Amino acid sequence: METVLAFVIGILFAVGIYLMMRRSLVKLIIGLGVLGHAANLLIFTVGRLTRGEPPLIGKHEEVLSGTFADPLPQALILTAIVIGFGVQVFAAVLIKSAYRIVGTDDLDEMKSTDETQP
Amino acid sequence: MFPAPPTFEDLNVWAALPVIILSLWASVLLVADRFINNKFYVAAYSLLGVGISLVIALFQAGDLFDIGESGTAFEGMFMADQFTYVVNIVALISAAIGILISYEYLERTKLDRGEYYILLMFSAAGAMLMGSSNNLSMIFISLELLSIPLYILSGIRRPQEESEESAMKYFLLGAFSSSFLVYGIALVFGAAGSLDLGEIVVVAQTISEQEATQRYLLLIGAGLITVGLGFKVAAVPFHMWTPDVYQGAPTPVTAYMSSVAKVGGFAAFLRVLVTGLPIIAEGGDAAVWVDTLQILAALTLLLGNLVAIMQYDLKRLLAYSSIAHAGYILIALAAGGVPGVGDSAAQAALVYLAAYAFTNIGAFAVVAAIEKDDSTGTTMDDIKGLAVKRPWLAGAMSVFMFSLTGIPLTAGFIGKFWVFRAAMDAGLEPLAVLGVLTSAISAFYYVRVVWNMYFETGDAVVPERQQYLTSGLVITAAGTLILGLLPFILENLVRDASLAILR
Amino acid sequence: MLYAVVSGFGAALVAPLIHQSVRRWSGWLLVLLPLALFGYFASHMEQISDGEKIAFAYTWVPSLDVELAFMLDGLSLLFVLLVSGIGALIVLYGSAYLADHPQLGRFYAYLLMFMASMLGVALADNLITLFIFWELTSISSYLLIAFKHDYESSREAAKKALIVTGAGGLALLAGLILVGIEADTWTISELASRKDVIQEGGLYLPALLLILVGCFAKSAQFPFHFWLPYAMEAPTPVSAYLHSATMVKAGVYLLARLHPSLGGTDEWHAIVTGVGGLTMLIAGFIAWQHTDLKKILAYTTISALGILVFLLGIGTGLAVKGAMIFLLVHSLYKGALFMVAGSIDHETGTRDIAQLGDLAKSMPFTAVGAGLAALSMAGLPPLLGFIGKEIIYEATQEAHDLLPLVLTAAALLANIFNVAAAAMVTLKPFTGQAAHTPKHPHEAPLAMWIGPVVLGGFTLAFGVASNLLLKDFFAQTVAAVYGKPYEVKLGLWHGLNTTLVLSVVTLVAGGLLYAYLRQILPIVKPLNVGEKLGPDRLYDIGFEGILDFASLTERFFQNGHLRYYLMTIIFTLSSLLILTMTTQIDFDSIQLNVDDVLLHEYLLAGLMIAAAITITMTSSRLMAVAALGVVGYSVALLYVFYGAPDLAMTQFSIETLSVVVLVLVLYRLPKFKDFSTPRSRARDGIIAVMFGGLVTTLILIITSEPLQSRLSPYFAENSYVLAKGHNVVNVILVDFRGFDTMGEITVLGVAAIGIFALLKLRPSSRKEE
Repeated sequence: METVLAFVIGILFAVGIYLMMRRSLVKLIIGLGVLGHAANLLIFTVGRLTRGEPPLIGKHEEVLSGTFADPLPQALILTAIVIGFGVQVFAAVLIKSAYRIVGTDDLDEMKSTDETQP
Repeated sequence: MFPAPPTFEDLNVWAALPVIILSLWASVLLVADRFINNKFYVAAYSLLGVGISLVIALFQAGDLFDIGESGTAFEGMFMADQFTYVVNIVALISAAIGILISYEYLERTKLDRGEYYILLMFSAAGAMLMGSSNNLSMIFISLELLSIPLYILSGIRRPQEESEESAMKYFLLGAFSSSFLVYGIALVFGAAGSLDLGEIVVVAQTISEQEATQRYLLLIGAGLITVGLGFKVAAVPFHMWTPDVYQGAPTPVTAYMSSVAKVGGFAAFLRVLVTGLPIIAEGGDAAVWVDTLQILAALTLLLGNLVAIMQYDLKRLLAYSSIAHAGYILIALAAGGVPGVGDSAAQAALVYLAAYAFTNIGAFAVVAAIEKDDSTGTTMDDIKGLAVKRPWLAGAMSVFMFSLTGIPLTAGFIGKFWVFRAAMDAGLEPLAVLGVLTSAISAFYYVRVVWNMYFETGDAVVPERQQYLTSGLVITAAGTLILGLLPFILENLVRDASLAILR
Repeated sequence: MLYAVVSGFGAALVAPLIHQSVRRWSGWLLVLLPLALFGYFASHMEQISDGEKIAFAYTWVPSLDVELAFMLDGLSLLFVLLVSGIGALIVLYGSAYLADHPQLGRFYAYLLMFMASMLGVALADNLITLFIFWELTSISSYLLIAFKHDYESSREAAKKALIVTGAGGLALLAGLILVGIEADTWTISELASRKDVIQEGGLYLPALLLILVGCFAKSAQFPFHFWLPYAMEAPTPVSAYLHSATMVKAGVYLLARLHPSLGGTDEWHAIVTGVGGLTMLIAGFIAWQHTDLKKILAYTTISALGILVFLLGIGTGLAVKGAMIFLLVHSLYKGALFMVAGSIDHETGTRDIAQLGDLAKSMPFTAVGAGLAALSMAGLPPLLGFIGKEIIYEATQEAHDLLPLVLTAAALLANIFNVAAAAMVTLKPFTGQAAHTPKHPHEAPLAMWIGPVVLGGFTLAFGVASNLLLKDFFAQTVAAVYGKPYEVKLGLWHGLNTTLVLSVVTLVAGGLLYAYLRQILPIVKPLNVGEKLGPDRLYDIGFEGILDFASLTERFFQNGHLRYYLMTIIFTLSSLLILTMTTQIDFDSIQLNVDDVLLHEYLLAGLMIAAAITITMTSSRLMAVAALGVVGYSVALLYVFYGAPDLAMTQFSIETLSVVVLVLVLYRLPKFKDFSTPRSRARDGIIAVMFGGLVTTLILIITSEPLQSRLSPYFAENSYVLAKGHNVVNVILVDFRGFDTMGEITVLGVAAIGIFALLKLRPSSRKEE
C-alpha cells in the first residue's frame, strides 16, 4: 500500500504546488489545503502502515502487544492537522480582507511594494 | 530500564521558567486587555512581563540561583542549557526594546491596540522555544508560534495597501515553507525513527557506517528543514518576502521582527544541524550539508550586499542589509558542520545575533523616529542634514551604521570577527574572504547614510522627540558600543554554550 | 603608554570645546599635546638606542587572544616621533591656514583623532589591535579629506579614498587572521620567531597576498594608487600630514613590521619589489607633467612610497637601511613642501606653477624652508636626502640575487624624475620673473612658515651630523625590520665610486629634464594614456557595473509576483534534491510492492487522485472546495483503515469545519478566472509534476527500508504503566508530549487573535479612508 500512497502523495504535492502558482488567491488557498493533506499523509506513510490495529492498550493489559500502528507519527499528524486548520482559516480571512481592500483576487495586481524606487 | 514515572521535578519545569512566565503573562494580558482602555498600561504591563522573564533568564544564564537544573525538561522535549539561556536573553531584549520603540509610533499612527504587545510577546516566546527545542515537533510548533504573530503584526497597519499585500505574501510564502519544514521532519523521522535530536544524532552516526541510502534521506530531510528555516532567516533564495514585508510593516514591527525572527530561526537551525544532524561524511570530514550551506551563505552575502547599494528607501536598504547579515550568520552555521568547530561556531552565531539585535533594532528605531505619521519620510533624502537638526539621533544612527559595517570598537566588529574566526578554524577560508569582501561593499551603502546625515543639507521635517523611543535608542546605542568595547561580557555569556554532542 | 595613545582620542573629544572657549589661541594650546607626546617618546630614545624594547599589554578578549598590546622599538619609535612631531607642526599650521573656517574646532578633533590612531598603528603589538587602529586611521582620514564637504569633488575624493583603503583594510584583516592562525599567536613580536612555520604553511601565499593588498591600498601602490591624487582635495594641512608623512606610510610601516616574519621568500621579492618599482616609475613619470603644485607633490609622494616598497622588497640589510633613512628623508621634505604649497596657495590664491614666480622676495622664510626641502628631495649634499639616495644606489647595486642592473636603472630613473619635480616645485615659484597672481603675495604668518623651516632645519642637521645623531638609533630601527642586528654607518662622503657617479648623473639628467621640460612634454604626452585609462577608470567602470548588476538582480528577484518567488524556492529545492539523489542514492533498492493492496484501497486512492485533478480543472469555486473536502475525507478514511481512529476523528471534524469556513469566506470572492496563459500553465504544470515525482521517488526509497522506531516501543510499554492511559496516541499528546500540545494550543490561540483582529478592524479603518 505504501507504493500506491507514494503516487497519491506525489500527485497531491504536484496539485498543491500547481495551485499555489496560480494568480488567483482562491486557488492559492485551496492549494495550501491540498499541500497540508499531502504532508500529513507523507508523515503517516513514512511511519509505515499497519492495517487495522490502532495503538490502544486493551482494557486488561498494561502494554501494547502484537502488531500495532505506530503511535508516534499519529501524534505528530494530530498536531499538524490542528495547526494546519488554524493556518487555513487565518489564510481565508486574510485573503478575504485583502480582497476587500485591494479589490481583486489577482495576485499580479498586488505588487505595489515591489515597485523599484528611482 | 526505563525511568520512573515523571513527577513535577522530573519534568524539570522550572528550567523553562522564562518562557512559561512570558506565555502565561501574555495570555492573562490578552484577557485583561479588554478591560484596559488606556493602551499605555497594556504596553507597560507587557514590558513588565518581558522584564521579569528577562531577569530570570539572566539569573539562569549567570548561574546565580538554581531553579531547575540544566539539561532536558518535559521528557526531553525541552533543552535548558547555556545556549537556551543566551537565546532567551537576546529574544527578550529584542522584545523589550521592541515594546519601548513601538508605543509612541503606534499612538501617532493610530495603530495603538492592545493585541499588538501581546502578539509581540507570543512571538518572543516562539523564538525562545525554538532555541530550546530538543525535538523536531517542538521546532515546528515553536516556528509557528514565532511566525503567526509576525504575520499578523506585519499586516496590522490596515487598510494600507502595501502593508496588507506584503503581510499576505509573507504569510502565504511562510505557510508554504512551513509545509516544507514538516516534510523535512517527516523524512528525518522516516529515516531515523525518532524526532528527538539526541536520538537522531545517534542514528545518524550508526547508519552512516552502513546504510548510504538512509543517510542521504536524512540529508534530504535536513535540506527541506533548511528551506523551512532558511525562509525564516531570509537566506537567499528564500528571501523574497523580506524587502516587501520590511517596507510594508510598521517600522517598529520591522525592527522587532528583523531581530527576533533571525534569533529564533538561527537558534533552531543550530539545534537541528549541529546537534541533530552532524552527519559525518566519509573519512571523518565535515558534515555533508556544509557545502549546501556554504553556497547559501555566499549567495546571501552577495545578493544582500549588492542590491542594498542602490536602495533609496532606508527601510528597504535595511531589509537588504538584514538579508546580508543572515549571510554572515550562515557562515558560522556552515562552519558548525566541521567536526570540532561545532561549539565555537554556535558561539560565534550567538555573539553575532546579540550584536545584530542591538544594532539592527537601533537602526530601525532611528527610522521610526524620523518617519512621518503617514508612514513616509524614510528615504535617503529625508535624512539629509539630520546631524544639524537632531545631532544625537544622527550620532546614534552613525553608531549603528558603523556597527553594521563591522568597524572596530562596535558590536558588529566583534560579531564579524567571531564568525570569520570560526570559518577559518573550520577551514572555510574562501567563505571568510568573501565575507570580508562583501563587508567592504557594505561599507559603501552604510557610509552613504552617515554621509547624508552629516555632509548634505536638507530641510526634511522630522517628528518631535519621542520619550520612550529615545530610551530604546539609548539602550541600543549603548549596547552596541558596550559590546564593542567590552567584548568579554558576551564572551563570558556564550563560553559555556555547547551544542555538539558528537565531537 | 596606553595613556599616550588614548590621550589623543580624549583630546579629540574636548578640542571643539577648547576651540569654542579660547578661539584665537586654540592652536597654540592644542599643540601642547603632540609636543608633549613627542617629548615623551623622545625621552625613550636612549633606552631604545641601547637595544631595549618597551612593551605593555592589556587584556581585551581573552578567549580569542586579543589584547591591547603595545611595544616600542626602533621602528615604532621612528614612526611615533614622526607622527607626533609633524603632528605638532600641522596643528599650528592648520590653526593659521583655516583661521577663518567656522568649523576649525571639528578640524582639530579629527586631526587629533587621526594622530592617536596613527600612534596606535605604530605601537600595536597585536595583530587585531593593529587592525583596529588601522581602520580608525581610515575613518579619521575620511573625515579629514571630506572636511571641505561643500564641494562635490571633495566628497567624491573622500569616498574614493575610503572605499579603496577601507576595502584594502578588510583584505588586510583576513590576511592577518590567516597569519595569526598559522603562527598560532596574535602577538606581532612573536611572529618573527615563527617565520618558518608561517612561510612553510599552506596559508602563506593567500595571507601574503591579502596583507599586501591592504598595505598597497593604504600606501597608494599601483594599481591602487589612483585615490591619492584625488585626496588632494583635502585642505593642505591634511595633505601635508596624512599624504606625506603619516597615513600613506602606514602600509610601508606594516610591510617593514612584518618583513622579519613574511619577507625573504621568492614571492615577497617578486611581488613587493615589482609593485614598488612599477609604482615609483609610473608615478615619477606622471609627476613632472603636471603644473598643479599639489598634484606634483602627490605623484612624487606615490613615487617615493614606491621606492620604499621597492627597497623593502629587496630586503637586504643595506636595502632596509636605505628604506628607513629614505623614510625619514621623505617625511621631512615632503611634509615641508606640502606646507609650502599650502602657504603659496593661501597667500597668492593659486597653486598652478605656471602662474607663479619670484616669491622668494615676498615670502623669504617660506622660501628657506622650501629650498632646504627641495635640495634634500633632489639629493644634494650636505642634506639628508643625499645620504638617502646614496644608500639606495648602494643597495640596488648589491642586490646580487635580483638583477642588480635592472634595479639600479629603475632607481636611477625614478630619482631623475624626482630631481625634476623638486626643481619644478621650488625653482619655478620662488625664482625667476614675478608673475601676476590672484592675490598680492606676502609672507605667511609665523604658524605657517615655522613648519617648513623646522623640518628643513632637521634635514640639514641630520645630513651634516648623520653619524652622530642617527647612527645608534637607526641601528635599532634597521634591526627591527631586518630581523637581526645590523651595523649602521652614515656619512656624506663614501669616496669616489660608482654610487657617486650615479648621483651626479641623477642630478644632471634631472636638471636637463627640468630645463627642457617645454620641449619634452609634447613628446611624452601620448605615452601618458595610463592616467586616463588606468585603474582609476577601472574603478569607475567597476563601480557602475556593480550598480547596474544590483538593479538587474533586484528586478530579477524582486518582481513582486508571489508565484515566481514560490517557483524559485521549488526550483532551488528540486535541484538540490535531484543532485543528492542522482549522486548518492541507490535506486536498485526500490521495491514496488502492490501485492497486498485491497480493492477498496485502490478505489480510495483513485478517488483522491480524481478529486485532486478536479480541483485543478474546475472553474467553479464550490466544486473546488468540495473536491478539497473529498480529498480530506478520503485521507480520514485512510486513517481509519490503518489503525489511526483518533486521526480520523480529528480529520473528519476539522475537514467539515474548514469546508464550511471556506465556503462562507469564498462565497464573497469573485469567480475563478483564468488569469494565466496556457503557456505559463504548462510551465507550472511541468514544475509541479517534477516536484511531485521527486516526492514519490523519495517515499518509495524510504518505505523500501525497514523502519526501527526508537520511541514507539517506549510509549507502547509505558503509556499505561506510567500515565494510566489506554489510548497511546492520546497519552503521547497530553502526557509525554504535553509541552508540545501546550504550544500547539498557543499557536491556535494566536491564530484566533489574528483572525479576530482582521475581522474587528473593519469599520473604523473604513472610515478613515
